Amino acid sequence: MRRWHPVLVGLVLALTFTAAASEEAGVSARDAWMRESPPGVAMMAGYMALQNDTSRSQVLVAARSSDFETVMIHRTIVREGMARMEHASQVELAPNASLLFAPGGYHLMLLNPKRTLRAGSRVEVNLEFRGGLVLPVAFEVRK
Amino acid sequence: MKQAGLKFSILTTAVALAAIIAGAWLAGSGRENSSQAMLLPDRVMTLFPDPKPLTAFALIDHESRVFDLAGLKGKWTFLFFGFTHCPDVCPTTLAILARAREIIAKSRVGAEDVQFVFISVDPNRDTAGKLGQYVAYFDPTFLGVTGDDAQIASLARQLGAPYQVAFKPGMENYPVYHTTTVFLVDPRARYHAMFTPPLDAETIGRRFKVLRELEGAKAT
Repeated sequence: MRRWHPVLVGLVLALTFTAAASEEAGVSARDAWMRESPPGVAMMAGYMALQNDTSRSQVLVAARSSDFETVMIHRTIVREGMARMEHASQVELAPNASLLFAPGGYHLMLLNPKRTLRAGSRVEVNLEFRGGLVLPVAFEVRK
Repeated sequence: MKQAGLKFSILTTAVALAAIIAGAWLAGSGRENSSQAMLLPDRVMTLFPDPKPLTAFALIDHESRVFDLAGLKGKWTFLFFGFTHCPDVCPTTLAILARAREIIAKSRVGAEDVQFVFISVDPNRDTAGKLGQYVAYFDPTFLGVTGDDAQIASLARQLGAPYQVAFKPGMENYPVYHTTTVFLVDPRARYHAMFTPPLDAETIGRRFKVLRELEGAKAT
């Protein structure tokens, strides 16, 4: 019987682990930023591009940050000619698809910052997905 | 010398072209229906060929001065309705308008005869002082305006700007619903055009430039 070459075995193992790892951490966020709040306003909106590179749907159920009292998932919708914010209890990311959190649409609503956040500040937000996956995302504060 | 001449002729041609294109839109709409609004091809500005004169209203600006119909005369006014406890739509729109103002200010004609007014439909929370620092954050020339519910409603109704304050006693973060449209009132206090999202500063600046040139030409 032909013996497997050790390098080949190693390669197969490495590939298997890589695949497992990306399946594990197959949700990512890019271009995460939040708008600096004008003086006297204790709320901010956070935007990002979420990418689900897994073959399953991923459901975002919560967001938390130690820099804010409250973080909620919101969506701006227009009904009867008026924009309103709707609380989204969960947001589903389709398999191998991306979802944009952008002005006028989905956004994180961040209430009562615990420190002064100005353009250039960095804020870490943990995105919690159903099944226990927590994705830490670094948001840049922009003017 | 020769180069300057060439530059000038290119510039005049560009201006003439812009005027012809804009004129064609106006003429085209006039033929079809003189009273109907016309959405320009980039789907950002809707122009009213037959602008509607606004009638009296009385509001208060962020320095506690009266802001009424007279405050709209002699200037082009960009109007946006919102409230300061608004994390998404209002800051996004005001940031875009601040950039649009910058573009207009840098243009040949400048922004001397242009004002930007943010009308808070939430006078309960948005006091004059609060409004002042809020609008100044976006642009020091911006005017914050609010007033009695009835007076806000009067102006909003004339512009067809729906809003609703879902206030409940004891509720700190009550929701406010409002239109995302930016309204443009001409120097004769007539509702002349509107901009609807997705907004971008460059398009607003470009459209406004053409409109102002056309109206300026009509006036003289």
